[in-house]
Parts: sequence; C-alpha cells; structure tokens
Amino acid sequence: MKTELRKELLSLGAEVVGFAGLQGHMSGEIAHLDHAVSIGVARRLNEDTLCILVKLQKRAVRFLKSRGYRTLAIPPDSDRGKGTFVSKLYSLFNHKMAATSAGLGWIGKNGLLISPDYGPRLSLASVLTDAPLDPDKPVEHSLCGSCTLCMTYCPSQAITGSEWSRSSPFVELVKLSACRSHKATKRATDGKPNCGLCINICPYGRREADSQHVVQEKSARERC
Amino acid sequence: MATEEKKKELLEKLRNAVIQYDEDTAKEAANEALSTGIDANDAIFNGLVSGMVEVGRMFEAQEYFVPELLMCADALYAGLDILKPHVTQLDLGVKGSVVIGTVEGDVHDIGKNIVKMMFDVAGFTVYDLGRDVPLDKFVQEQLRTDSDLVCLSAMMTTTMTGMKKVIDDLRTRNPNVKIMIGGAPVSQDVADKYGADGYAKDATNALKDAINMIASLKKMKDEVEAKKAK
Repeated sequence: MKTELRKELLSLGAEVVGFAGLQGHMSGEIAHLDHAVSIGVARRLNEDTLCILVKLQKRAVRFLKSRGYRTLAIPPDSDRGKGTFVSKLYSLFNHKMAATSAGLGWIGKNGLLISPDYGPRLSLASVLTDAPLDPDKPVEHSLCGSCTLCMTYCPSQAITGSEWSRSSPFVELVKLSACRSHKATKRATDGKPNCGLCINICPYGRREADSQHVVQEKSARERC
Repeated sequence: MATEEKKKELLEKLRNAVIQYDEDTAKEAANEALSTGIDANDAIFNGLVSGMVEVGRMFEAQEYFVPELLMCADALYAGLDILKPHVTQLDLGVKGSVVIGTVEGDVHDIGKNIVKMMFDVAGFTVYDLGRDVPLDKFVQEQLRTDSDLVCLSAMMTTTMTGMKKVIDDLRTRNPNVKIMIGGAPVSQDVADKYGADGYAKDATNALKDAINMIASLKKMKDEVEAKKAK
C-alpha cells in the first residue's frame, strides 16, 4: 500500500513523499490519526505550488479513504485562512515534525526543514491517517554541521546558531520575534513581507540561479 | 422533474458526502440535485441533515472523533452554501432568528459554531457575534434584531459566570426572549440557577439538541404541508 501511494504521489508532481509513525506524539483530538504522509514540493511559492500540494493531498486522501481508513488533510501553512471548522485543529499539528519523522530531512539552523536534495526549498503538506503505513526511518540529528551561512546573512540576527536534534526539541533555533519584526518592516517598506534569505542561502540543494536571486529579488517564499 | 430513483440516489449521495466528510462530492451532489430539479429543502433535510444525524450517532458511539465531526460539518456547509439560495421559505410557525456567541473572555467557539450550523440548516437567521463577545453586546444585538432566541456559550468556569449577567440583563429588558446556554462547565443545575430556558452540555449534546430541534422543525414543516394539502 505504501509503495503504491508513494509512486502515485511522485508521479503526480511531488518531489518527496515520506511516511511517519507518530504514536504518542499527537495531542488529544487527533491522537487516533497517528500516521502521517508527508508530501513535499520543491517549487517557488505561488498559487500553482499550493494547487499542486492541495491536489496531491486530495489524491492521498482518496487513496486512503477508498481503502477504508480515516484521514485528516493538513493543508500547507500558507493555505489555512479558510474559516472552516476543521481549520481550528490545524494548529495542533506541525508539518516539519511529520517530515523529520518521515525521514525527509532535519530542522536546519534556520528553523526550516532541510532535505538533503532540496534544502529548505520544499513546501509541505501532510495527510494524517489511521492506516498502518510502515514508517520510514526518522532523521534524528541536524546535518548542518559547522555551516552558519543562514546565521551570517540573516538581516535580523534572528538565527541563534543552535543545532536541532530530535532529543532536544525545545532549543530555540530562531528568535521568531526578531524575524517577525523584520518581516513587518519589510512589508511596510516594499510591500513584500517575506524575506527568504535563509532559504536561498542554504547550500543544500542550491542552484546557481538561486544564489543570484538572493541579491536581486530576495524571493518571496513561505516558512514551511 | 427527477425520477424517484434518481432523487433517491442523489439524496443518498448528499448524505454519504457528509458522512464521508467529502466536500467535493457534497458540492457536486448539491449542484446535481439542483439541476435535476430536486427541491432544495428536500436535499438539505433528507440529504445533508440526514447525513449529519448519522454523524452525530457515530460521534456518540465513538466511531467518529472531533476531527471527523468537524470535517463532516465542513462538508455539510459546502453543500448547504449551494442549496440555500434555492430554498423556498416555508412558514414554520416559528420566527427564525437567533443571536449566538461565546461570552467575554472565552475564545473557544467550536461548539458554538456547530450549534450555529444547525440553526443555519434549519433556515434561521443567525446573528453570530463570534467569540470573546462583550456581555452588553448580547443584549444590544437581541434588542437590535428582535431575535427571540439567544444562545450563549462558554468553555471555562471563569467565563461561564458572565452568562448569568447576560441572562439577567436580557430578562429585565425583554422577559419573552428564550435563552439557551452551553459549554463544558455548564450543567442543567447551572442552567436552572442562571434562569436559562435550554441547556446543551458540549458539542456532542449541542449537536444532539440541535438535531432534535431540527427534527421538530421538520415535523412542523410536514404539518404545514399536510395542512396545505388539505
């Protein structure tokens, strides 16, 4: 079942698909949905990317439902303000937690999911389910090593430089207030709230076009 | 006009879309129902609501949990949004307008929203004040809209006490208004002590009560129709 679902999602445009077992990590309301399918798409963040993610999500939901399992699709973080009933529950769940548990990558110094192949350039969506999908091997430690590019280039000095590991999940990686106030200033000056430097600068999965882009446009990209 | 068979199939499809929390199918079935000429009221009550009644049962039997319940409600709304503009208003003999909100200091509104949904379904005009609503606002809104039902919700014992004040104020200003309260800390005792007319313990019970309410509305609707037929 797992291989089939992964193949289907990859053929429809997902870059990475992972399966996580989250037994004991879910809060009350969603505790019975303790397996997650983590879907990543490596594209610039725009409407298309959201469309693709939502489409992939629906496909996974249909796949699992038709086999008699429950599902709860957690949409991409930037597609949440819909005011539906179930959107109240989205905040109980973290895409990055599912992604690291599904072995897709680790949490970098910039607080984002870093995949070995795509770096922090993945947009994530998850589907929770009670289907007994065999989990992939979780990533336990950061592979950022001594690299501090994101820390050096961060315009708001928000990145503390601490390293993530699954055993110490409460270490502060990014001073969110600093990051947020920088984004607010940026929004006020040029109308684009997202900074994205820590994404573009990351050497994992970087292409040359990206690094030039840093200087030119400071591309808008979501924090997944 | 749709054949009986087709109609049955579409009502079943609406019902299942709600039970299976499938928004897309709910929309699709609602549009099909309209295009085949099924009465929108019929589609809502015998399709969507019938599905929600089953969901309520499954929730009670602990086959469904909160996420499923919420997704079913979303599916119901998806269908309802399409069907509602086509509902021919029936004279139900009740004035359908209600003021609803979660009291000051409280931001928990899932239960309130589910109750609101059932009022929406039943064709009430709902004045939703949202959450963390200043206590005076309930009274003002009731007077402004002349609603005959006010629903108060609270999730915490600390905010629950605010309901007493609202009820007292409402009673002084307008003795005829009906008041329903609900939320985790509320009990029948509290409802009696505060002088509320109705009480629902939590989302499950609110749902059940709301379903009962709709069932009685349905009965009234049938009676009205029976009278018309005569």
